Amino acid sequence: MLLEVKNLDSGYGYLQILRSVSLNIDKGEYVCIVGPNGAGKSTTMKTIAGLISPMGGSIVFNGEEISGLAASEITKKGISFVSEEMNLFVNMSVHENLYMGAYIINDKQVRNERLDFVYSLFPRLAERKDQLAGTMSGGERKMLAIGRGMMSDPKLLLVDEPSFGLAPQLTANVFESLDVLVKTGVTILLVEQNVTKTLAVTNRGYILENGKIGLEGKSSDLADDPHVRKVFLGV
Amino acid sequence: MSENILSRSVSWTKSAAGISILITILAAVVAAMYSGPYLIVNTIVTGGMLALVATGLTLMLGVLNIAMFAHGEYFMIGSLTAYYVFTPISNYISEHPDSFMAVVGPLIAIICAAIAGAVSGIISEKLVFGPLRRRSTDNWVMNSFLLTVGLSVLLINLHQLIFGADFKGIVGYWSGMPVSIADVFISRDRAMAFVISAVIVAMFWFFMTYTRTGMSIRAVSQDITGAQIVGIDIEKIVLLTISLACALSAVAGGSLLFMYPSYPTVGLEPLYLAWFVVILSGLGNILGAVAGAFMVALLKAVTVEYIGAGWDFVVPSALIMLVLIFKPSGIFGSDVRGALDK
Repeated sequence: MLLEVKNLDSGYGYLQILRSVSLNIDKGEYVCIVGPNGAGKSTTMKTIAGLISPMGGSIVFNGEEISGLAASEITKKGISFVSEEMNLFVNMSVHENLYMGAYIINDKQVRNERLDFVYSLFPRLAERKDQLAGTMSGGERKMLAIGRGMMSDPKLLLVDEPSFGLAPQLTANVFESLDVLVKTGVTILLVEQNVTKTLAVTNRGYILENGKIGLEGKSSDLADDPHVRKVFLGV
Repeated sequence: MSENILSRSVSWTKSAAGISILITILAAVVAAMYSGPYLIVNTIVTGGMLALVATGLTLMLGVLNIAMFAHGEYFMIGSLTAYYVFTPISNYISEHPDSFMAVVGPLIAIICAAIAGAVSGIISEKLVFGPLRRRSTDNWVMNSFLLTVGLSVLLINLHQLIFGADFKGIVGYWSGMPVSIADVFISRDRAMAFVISAVIVAMFWFFMTYTRTGMSIRAVSQDITGAQIVGIDIEKIVLLTISLACALSAVAGGSLLFMYPSYPTVGLEPLYLAWFVVILSGLGNILGAVAGAFMVALLKAVTVEYIGAGWDFVVPSALIMLVLIFKPSGIFGSDVRGALDK
């Protein structure tokens, strides 16, 4: 098991959002967490990435307890987080952003290999190498954020709301690039509001409601579940 | 390609940055023709040192979001250290005038000043800013600003208590004939002060632009969450930034000891001038701060020359008011966010 989250409690200050959330991911899987607004999807991601320290429970990654570690330490363990707001370095060029993505890699050779890999994945980024990240379009920025996340050669990629604020055509592009990543053997945990699309592409899913895991199972089964169909798909 | 560069440089001369730099150069040339080239020499020496203090200030503001009002006190610490290190060296030099210390001695004093600045920066982070940051970051800009004002008062009075309020100055660093460039005589101290500041600013710019550590400092200043995500240890960068910023200010204090003897409030003038520079050039922009430093230095020199020495803070202040009213982001500050925007 690559990631095992057990009875995780988390929140902001005194406000508890997640109540006893448990989930697990095997190597090479493409897993999603779906749920309505305010269910705690992003909180789950931020807690795993170390941006919020958990109130209770355990997060075991690769056999090591990582809950409570600083975000930079967790990145070094091999988890890369692509946040909803992307958190790009807006006054740096695309190239510099990607270079910073490989901050934890000390070997120059490996760093250049990762750079070539990301550029081959997103040729669009190679075209815009010297452009400032802040001056790019929303879809390109999303690609850059995912590319930057891939630069550290992560074992697990956390992707939070990749379709947020994107036009449908661009959303499709982002999903395609995630598919390509899965085929290269990256394990992905995806959080999305676009339930139909997400359940169609992922292997397995968790339904998060009011800070608790409501349902879990194969994505195809979830898509057929009467409760899910009623609440999320409106049928 | 060459057309592209041409059109870009034409449009640059029409931008606020271009206009103000061209006006500055023109004003410097005109003033030099009327009053003699020593005015340009003064501008360059003060401007170079101001650039050091102002880049430190810019760094603190950009990375830590601290409106630093104790920066002048690190200037004071630098000049004090240089004084106590250089006094025995200068006694030694007067006994052995031909020893190598006559050349290296001043540099040792200035390097000691830089180290003292860096160490005191680290101490202030550990004792003052770090605890506040861990306690609460609510209303951070205001709280940290008040903290720096308190720190400034504390350091000024500590100086007075321990070392006394008298002027602690030296006659000069490097003795010998002044350097002559095109009929202008520049004392060796002034020439060296400019060389030191130019070398340090160039090294600092290179460090920030091309090295991995420099890039991670910029990354933290642009998006702190993004920096955490890519694995940058924020605490380490914060410590590094504070020690760098304070060392820059202390180097300025150390190498200007021959002009500004050390006394408790010696840091206030460079502090205010550096704030003029930062507001004029825009927050968090290093190259802008360097250009702004020379503008403010020229403005000060011209004011002293034509209006009177008592007015040297009035005219820059009036200019700052105009800048804040008409271009609040500063002359070079188009793509930089203000401290309160974060």
